[in-house]
Amino acid sequence: MSETKQTKVVSFLCNWCSYGAADLAGVSRMQYPENIRVIRIPCTGRMSPKFVLSAFREGADGVWVSG
Amino acid sequence: MESYIEQIRTLAVDLLKSGKVDVVIGYRRGSVPMATVPFMARTPEQAKQLTWDSHCTLNLANYLTNRQEKIGIIAKGCDSRNIVNHIVENKINRDQLHIIGVPCKGMVNPKELQTLLDDEIISCAETGSTLTIASSQAEIKIEREDHLRNNCSLCTHRNPVIYDDLVGEAVEEPVLDDPFKDVNAIEAMDADEKWNYFDDLLDGCIRCYACRNACPLCYCPTCFVDESDPQWVGKGQNDTDIKTFHFLRAFHCAGRCTDCGACEAACPMDIHVRAFTRKLIKDSKELFGWEAGMDISKRPPLDTFAPDDPNDFIK
Amino acid sequence: MMANLLEHMGMEKDRVQFSWISSAEATKFATVAREVAQSVEALGPNTKFVKGSD
Ligand code: SF4
Ligand code: SF4
Repeated sequence: MSETKQTKVVSFLCNWCSYGAADLAGVSRMQYPENIRVIRIPCTGRMSPKFVLSAFREGADGVWVSG
Repeated sequence: MESYIEQIRTLAVDLLKSGKVDVVIGYRRGSVPMATVPFMARTPEQAKQLTWDSHCTLNLANYLTNRQEKIGIIAKGCDSRNIVNHIVENKINRDQLHIIGVPCKGMVNPKELQTLLDDEIISCAETGSTLTIASSQAEIKIEREDHLRNNCSLCTHRNPVIYDDLVGEAVEEPVLDDPFKDVNAIEAMDADEKWNYFDDLLDGCIRCYACRNACPLCYCPTCFVDESDPQWVGKGQNDTDIKTFHFLRAFHCAGRCTDCGACEAACPMDIHVRAFTRKLIKDSKELFGWEAGMDISKRPPLDTFAPDDPNDFIK
Repeated sequence: MMANLLEHMGMEKDRVQFSWISSAEATKFATVAREVAQSVEALGPNTKFVKGSD
């Protein structure tokens, strides 16, 4: 699909936990791989198996759920 | 069997006459041999049409969802477990129900019986454990035990787990050495083999949703496959869509599926839909020590939290 | 259980991962992000469950 071989990991991050951590990581200028594509969800309870499949259907190579 | 039918009819007639229930949900003979259809008897007269044989493959709990009247319902082992599910999930009130439990000796697989004769089967009669099936050319006798549906041959809860009246004597519960042989066989494959296995399995699926409609667990007013905003899954015969449908439907049944086999019995394409749900049954048992629909005071594992829930998949 | 069923259907295990990171754990976030990205990269591009791949 894409010309580059780079893999994409769709990451569902909880607003209060991992999204906060990601934010802090950014503020602290830490490096993390660019294949991580972040989607902020209000809470990991919002997570649904439909999201995981949707991500794959649209061409994600991996899914990471973090609360 | 004959004595079962008599007792079912007598109980149903009494219930309707005394006004204890407004309707009795049971089975009636279908219009073709080896088939029964769900039937709602509302008068004592109609109750005389109720029947029972080795072809009561559908799950009557499916017809309980959100009903308001008082209901008498006929339940074999798996139906009764689905009734428990319905009560736990607030889809019906225990007080509304009068459950006529029927200890089940297993239902036969009509598609398998058909393979025994060259021509179309035009009649099927039952005495005790023997079935006599006949086409226009031939007639043979077979034993019910030898031609059970796959789920019935793996069933360990033949007696109803909840009932108000029990028809006949409780039957002996089979003990299986290796109940999940089929699941283990798939687990032993590598990722691509598994993928191809399910590809082949779903090859014939025409997306008629008969499996979903026959399943008592699938009672959502709008199924995710029918949602259009967002549209989770396409409507066509696309392989990915078919897989998405089956994967998500199965997952919605996790910890709830009783392996009643109604989905498979309803499938016009003879697809082994339970290949998905059986994995979930196995996992529920291994991870949570859970069997669906056994106790009306317990919530299913996936909607409760316990500190000792397995969580080693979390980093 | 969902991940188990996906695996049962032939998705590679590492394609779906879960973790638990508090908002103060920026270092853990960066480490885990790296791990996840690496393990997915090791599996290569995904071909299963992709709409339009068949
Ligand atoms: S998924 Fe199939 S076997 Fe399971 S409860 Fe529904 S109809 Fe019965
Ligand atoms: S009943 Fe059979 S053909 Fe119809 S959607 Fe289900 S698996 Fe597919």
